Amino acid sequence: MREPPYQTVLKPYGLALVELARRRPEVVCLGADLTRQTETDLFRDEIADRFINIGMAEANMLSVAGGLARAGHVVFVNTFGVFCTRRCFDQIAMSVAYPNLNVKIVGFMPGLSSPGGPSHQAIEDVALMRALPNLTVVEPADAVETRQVVAAIADRPGPVYLRLKRGEIPLIFDDDHRLDLGKAQILTGGEGADICIVASGMMVPAALSAARTLAENGVTAAVINVPVIKPLDGTTIAAMARRSRIVITAENHTIVGGLGSAVAETLAEAGIAAPLRRIGIADTFAEAGSREYLFAKYGLGTQDIIEAAWRGLAINRPIPVAPVVAASPGAYAPV
Amino acid sequence: MGDAHALDALNLRRLATRIRMRATDMIAIQGFGYLGQALSSAESFAVLFGGAMRLGHDRFVLSPGHYVISLYAAAAETGRLDPAKLADYGKDGAELEAIGSERTPVADLVCGSLGQGLSGAIGFALAAQLAGEDRRVFAFLSDGEMEEGQVWEAAMFAAHRRLDRLVVVIDANNSQVDGPVTSVTTLEPLAEKWRAFGWRVAEVDGHDVEALRRAFATRHESAGPLVVIARTEILGGLRTIPPTVDGHFIKLDGALRAAILHELEAALA
Repeated sequence: MREPPYQTVLKPYGLALVELARRRPEVVCLGADLTRQTETDLFRDEIADRFINIGMAEANMLSVAGGLARAGHVVFVNTFGVFCTRRCFDQIAMSVAYPNLNVKIVGFMPGLSSPGGPSHQAIEDVALMRALPNLTVVEPADAVETRQVVAAIADRPGPVYLRLKRGEIPLIFDDDHRLDLGKAQILTGGEGADICIVASGMMVPAALSAARTLAENGVTAAVINVPVIKPLDGTTIAAMARRSRIVITAENHTIVGGLGSAVAETLAEAGIAAPLRRIGIADTFAEAGSREYLFAKYGLGTQDIIEAAWRGLAINRPIPVAPVVAASPGAYAPV
Repeated sequence: MGDAHALDALNLRRLATRIRMRATDMIAIQGFGYLGQALSSAESFAVLFGGAMRLGHDRFVLSPGHYVISLYAAAAETGRLDPAKLADYGKDGAELEAIGSERTPVADLVCGSLGQGLSGAIGFALAAQLAGEDRRVFAFLSDGEMEEGQVWEAAMFAAHRRLDRLVVVIDANNSQVDGPVTSVTTLEPLAEKWRAFGWRVAEVDGHDVEALRRAFATRHESAGPLVVIARTEILGGLRTIPPTVDGHFIKLDGALRAAILHELEAALA
């Protein structure tokens, strides 16, 4: 793994989608007026005949995608996460999920990564998509995983919700890192960990930074990266949780219905009594603001994970403070 | 343009009557259901399944899933569905559900949640365009579901893409759950609305098989999609059904069933 501040790259998804579509003529790309913002300008410019701009009509877009998929296409639907989940839930349920079609719904700007306020912040998209039968819910943590996830979800039959950060995408993993849609990955602290941090997407780098500070202060934390929130790899998570004194989940999403809820279900059904702390948006709408401001204000920071661990373990020493990693332009550091 | 084995007008009218008889028998199983929809749409289904569609080649999308009774009846009458299956219509575990679903046979797409069918049909039309296929895509809609905004998103988009393989037929029977469509909201002027959205419009008497057949046969390359507004009566003009009946969801006792079948048999003779 690399160290923060992480280098970033642009358009790993858009490049991977073009590469996929060049190999597979059945791939089509739909959009709803956010072509550059969803990195699909590359597709539009390279494979114009299979790029279809539906316009700002997400309900229509999802049902059109269903028709195309019934005719044999693998359909990638691209817009912001709020618009392709909240706005057209019934269309996803009835035109895509129930018929179990090859539609890959790609939602950008997860959680509080958008400065646009509640109308543009997808804080409950994972909960909505997780509730639908047949849907697979995927959230890569970095550009290395994003490059691989496009072909991986195209190869997986049925509908997928792919949750992607927009803009500058950090490189966290080494180039030989392999994304496996069937597995959660233990990134650090596998054996003899005191606690277990289960993280997805943009909270993975925060979990890694928290684990580093905790280790420097005598607490070993296992960090599990969960790129597939549904179906959840409960086996890996339960095995690690069983050996941990507390379990912390970390997600850029409301704590209701997302990763934290999925892990809670797994722990409860496995009879694991370790206390669970859910780091995430505390069942509230947020506001407009920078990622740094919002992640700090709404409890999505590295320090929030450290404090949850410290309090959960009831350690009678001052809470360690994570060093601030300054990110130069073009680089990325967790809050 | 249409199927090589297209029926003539007399046989289309007889097919429509038999669709109504089949539907009456299906509704009699539970004693209530979506009989009005079959009575209003019988001629449209007769013309579509009696020659307008090249079955197995053209696509058929049924948007309002509660009209599936007409699909079952038309399919059974034209050899595409075992008529014996109609006896289980709406029963627990039956293949033929009262509201269409993914289990529904014959059609390429049947929706249940209103307003989604036209978008799905656009997906089929785009796929045919990408593949260079000469498939037409027929989408059956009801007038009430045009209250859903998605229909107009789809209408705007289909005209923008000039999807001339796409044909919509609207069963304009002025009936929805709460009463006449006109009492709930104002859809009219329907023809002008579709025209304004960029569609070719044919507005016909939906109980006139000749007029329906002519309307479906019109096709002009690159002229954009076609909508056929079939003006119909929810009770299909049957005199034996009291006009006070709730046409959207008809309760059918033995006496009414016998009267309806008697009237339909007379029409068949």
